[in-house]
Amino acid sequence: MKDKLKEIEEAALLSATEVVTETELQQVRARYLGRKGEITAVMKGMGQLSPEERPLVGVLANEVKDRLEAAFSERQEALRQEIMQQNLANEKLDVTLPGRKQRRGYKHPITLVTEEIVTIFASLGFGVAEGPEIEKDFYNFEALNIPKDHPARDMQDTFYISEEVVLRTHTSPVQIRTMLEHAPPVRVIAPGTVYRRDSDITHSPMFHQVEGFLVDRKVTFGDLKGILTTFINEFFGESVDVRFRPSFFPFTEPSAEVDIQCVICGGSGCRVCGQSGWLEILGSGMIDPEVFKSVNYDPEVYSGFAFGMGIERIAMLKYGVNDLRLFFENDLRFLKQF
Amino acid sequence: MKVTLNWLKEYVDFDLSADELSHRLTMAGLEVDVMERLGEGLDSVIVARLADVQPHPDADRLTVCKVETGSVTQQVICGAKNHKTGDLVALAQVGTVLPGNFKIKKSKIRGQESCGMLCSVSELGLADESEGILILPPGLLLGQPVFNELGLKDIMYEIGLTPNRADCLSVVGVAREVSAMVDASLRLPEIVVTENDNLASEKTSVVIEDADLCPRYAARLIENVKIGPSPEWLARRLEAVGMRSINNVVDVTNFVMMELGQPLHAFDFNLLREGRIVVRRAQDGEQFTTLDDQVRTLIGSDLMICDGVGPVALAGVMGGQNSEVSPETTNILLESAYFNPTAIRRTSKRLGLHTESSHRFERGTDVDMVPMALDRAAALIADLASGTIAHGVVDVYPVDLIRRAITITASHTSQVLGLEIDADGICNRLNAIGLKCDLIVDQHDGAVNVEIPHFRPDLEREIDLIEEVARLIGYDQIPVTMPVSSLNCQPLPVHLSLASQVRDQMAQMGYAEIINYSFFNADCLKKLGLDETDPRWQCVQVLNPLTEEQGSMRTTLVPSLLETAARNLAYRSEDLALFELRPVFQSVDGTDLPHENLRMVAFLCGKREPLGWAQSSENSDFFDMKGVVEQLLTDLRITNVNWKSGHDEHFYHPGKSCALYQGERLLGTLGELHPEVSHNFDLGQSAILCDLDVEALIELSGGTVKFQPLSRYPDVQRDSAFLVDAEISAQQVFAVLGQVRLKNLESIELFDVYCGEGVPAGKKSLAIRACYRAPDRTLTDELIQNLHGKLIKAMEKQLGAELR
Repeated sequence: MKDKLKEIEEAALLSATEVVTETELQQVRARYLGRKGEITAVMKGMGQLSPEERPLVGVLANEVKDRLEAAFSERQEALRQEIMQQNLANEKLDVTLPGRKQRRGYKHPITLVTEEIVTIFASLGFGVAEGPEIEKDFYNFEALNIPKDHPARDMQDTFYISEEVVLRTHTSPVQIRTMLEHAPPVRVIAPGTVYRRDSDITHSPMFHQVEGFLVDRKVTFGDLKGILTTFINEFFGESVDVRFRPSFFPFTEPSAEVDIQCVICGGSGCRVCGQSGWLEILGSGMIDPEVFKSVNYDPEVYSGFAFGMGIERIAMLKYGVNDLRLFFENDLRFLKQF
Repeated sequence: MKVTLNWLKEYVDFDLSADELSHRLTMAGLEVDVMERLGEGLDSVIVARLADVQPHPDADRLTVCKVETGSVTQQVICGAKNHKTGDLVALAQVGTVLPGNFKIKKSKIRGQESCGMLCSVSELGLADESEGILILPPGLLLGQPVFNELGLKDIMYEIGLTPNRADCLSVVGVAREVSAMVDASLRLPEIVVTENDNLASEKTSVVIEDADLCPRYAARLIENVKIGPSPEWLARRLEAVGMRSINNVVDVTNFVMMELGQPLHAFDFNLLREGRIVVRRAQDGEQFTTLDDQVRTLIGSDLMICDGVGPVALAGVMGGQNSEVSPETTNILLESAYFNPTAIRRTSKRLGLHTESSHRFERGTDVDMVPMALDRAAALIADLASGTIAHGVVDVYPVDLIRRAITITASHTSQVLGLEIDADGICNRLNAIGLKCDLIVDQHDGAVNVEIPHFRPDLEREIDLIEEVARLIGYDQIPVTMPVSSLNCQPLPVHLSLASQVRDQMAQMGYAEIINYSFFNADCLKKLGLDETDPRWQCVQVLNPLTEEQGSMRTTLVPSLLETAARNLAYRSEDLALFELRPVFQSVDGTDLPHENLRMVAFLCGKREPLGWAQSSENSDFFDMKGVVEQLLTDLRITNVNWKSGHDEHFYHPGKSCALYQGERLLGTLGELHPEVSHNFDLGQSAILCDLDVEALIELSGGTVKFQPLSRYPDVQRDSAFLVDAEISAQQVFAVLGQVRLKNLESIELFDVYCGEGVPAGKKSLAIRACYRAPDRTLTDELIQNLHGKLIKAMEKQLGAELR
């Protein structure tokens, strides 16, 4: 019986080395180690042995089983490795084929720039307000110290809905609405759509502005410079020079136009900046006491500043867009670039 | 407002380069829009003498000129008619590049050689238009550059003046600013008026009937003038600042207006009936012909200058044809007046007649300049048109206009600007621009009393003076600080943050945002097939649109979306996924302002995936768009919605569209575009559209995420396919499945809808996958069998479904 086991072991080991697939290995394994396998068959004959021999043969049989078990596992691992190596050698992608394209949408560049501006001012503690696009003359003009017959009305050609209702020409009426609703201090920016009766290569009858204002005790012109310089450096970069120069808006006094160093030529003069090296990007100023009177703020106690900027202009500078009209043509080839 | 460097230098001494002056003006609030170097690069345009002028042998309109330049004589062909032998002319030599990048080359014109060109005023860039070539005054040196000989090398600055700076609508006004910049004194022109023995007051008179509109009117009589061309210096100076030379008298009035800012008018005195002036309001309906040949119908608020019989000028705006100075004029009545700015503005605006004169009067002129400008012009006319000035000024100024006095304090100034300045500092600054300042010594806050001259009508309040101080110090000198302010939380208003969320989601789901004008032509609603009774016809109208296409405010975003799509398709962008999220405007009776309602529309056509070797090439369809809307609803946490196939929106395919409701509330519509509408908008293909009421979605959106605990036990899935009547909608199926309310049923998905082979006609097969899971134990087979059985039973019972 010992010889028989020996014989089986040798035959099994030989078969194991001869198989080339995992299935064949399974078959060989079953043939020797399975319930109906040869080892089991031998073990079944143990009853015929003498009680002295039985444990010895039993031990031997188990040893043979263990060795075969180990040999089959080893063989199986070797086969797995072999097959894997074969597969690895055979499987190959043309990795230079383009990837599967994902469909992606785009926010309009006006939206992107508005969001960026709002985010910067939000980080400076400004809230966001809105107002109607069709606005009363009172909010758009009168309360902003632009009475009828004032030459300043020439600065903004207005679309009228009726004698007393206009398409707002700027986002400044939001200033009035906000201040009428909230007592100072207020710190608000108001992005929105505005309309002017003007259409040529540099003017669109509809465009977008962001208005901002801050009212509190003891706000100074220096503070206006501080906030706007901070904004510009955040938006256009730390190294961009900023200058403030006198201007005129009926609702601010003193008024300032804010220029940045030309982002196209770096200040040396080019077509975009009209050779001046500077680009006008913001109108601003200390809120006029007349405006405070129309919203019942006491100009003796409170002071504040306001500013407004054209989003299209800022977007044109940021992205290098050379034609205002592109923003409203909605050509996908344009929209896809942002 | 245009000024030139040389002209400024007549009134103030300074030594700034052309660029420096430009910068300083801009930084003082007088923004230089354009700086032009007159005569730059034109040294090769030289003085030459016409030695001989002969007709061109082969061309009627040309002449062959022999031109002496001092050293040589050359031949030039000329097409002008105003030259003759002996004239001095401006010769652009070969190689010169004239303004407009016009290069002079040696050439042959109709067989005759031409070396150079004889230039006109406009060809030299001195005026916008001109007739004939420039004939130079005698006495210039041959061969010398024309610009040097005429003293025309100059720098022109075009200043974009803000409407408050009426004082800078004159060269002297700008010079006053320059004098403050460089700390030099302003030098007004010296005026010597030599009068004859005739008393002006005996020959003419002025009566002001409406002194509220004309507080001052002064006139001088100049006799025996000879109307003729202006001298070279005067014509060139006017042309340099953009005005045309007309004749010596008109040019002088324009020159003095440019110099001193006071518009003047010259009447032909002999044409003034009764030889006198009456200033009065017009009669309603009165007709009057202005200098530009237009008949104007007047109204009662227009101010007129009249003679003894009727109107001779539209006050402050334009003179009349009936009293115009002509070559035959011999006696001149020169007007210098101050008019009420608002009155002039109203008239000018109403008539659409904007002139250099009205531009100044409506911004406010200097009433104190009236006599000085009159004398200045009279003296020049006497000089240049060889007239004599009658004795005395007829100056009617019934009530002196009071000069405003304003108190400015150093403390308030420092507080507003955020810098330290004392009363002396304020006085120094304000004195420099001609304001008279008095320190008020008995006040602690550094108060200064300032008398405002009439040339600064814009200075009305202390804050205006504070701005002047800031301007004169220079904004760049004001320290940069950050405001000290209390902190308060200012969250984004909900509707803004949700609108922004929707935009983000649409972009993430592959849609490109578009922005169209809020205007449209309401006719395009016809193309959408809207009923006549549709409220969207009630558009807000623009009273003064730029074009008919922009005549109304949009009541729907759909037409412009379709137009955008059509345009993109025409550009061969074929797979389109677009959206627009903007307000629409709806007239509402009984409210002051129209209703503005935020809506979102989206458009989808073409392939579902971009073209590629590994991409699906299927077309996108209704369910792509529906999936988008469902995703939006999920993310906005809006539940309990239902989709109804019946709706009133005619621009959809009736069988492939639906409306979205929550309860009775319509939230939007979705569907395939009606083929007729697609045709009307030239799309040439089908497309899917949705139109959502974002305002409603925002209102219904709410709640935060509520965490559901995760079960640690396995799920069990059961798939079943049912045969149901083809008429039964998915919504009915979900309603039935939903009513069963099984515990431990985690989800049900409809994963296949099929009709065709193997399915009887009139039926369809629906396959569902139910997923069961308990939070606290593994579900037994038996239990699941039981649960799933209930689902199947409900389907069989309520929908007559048959298990396949």
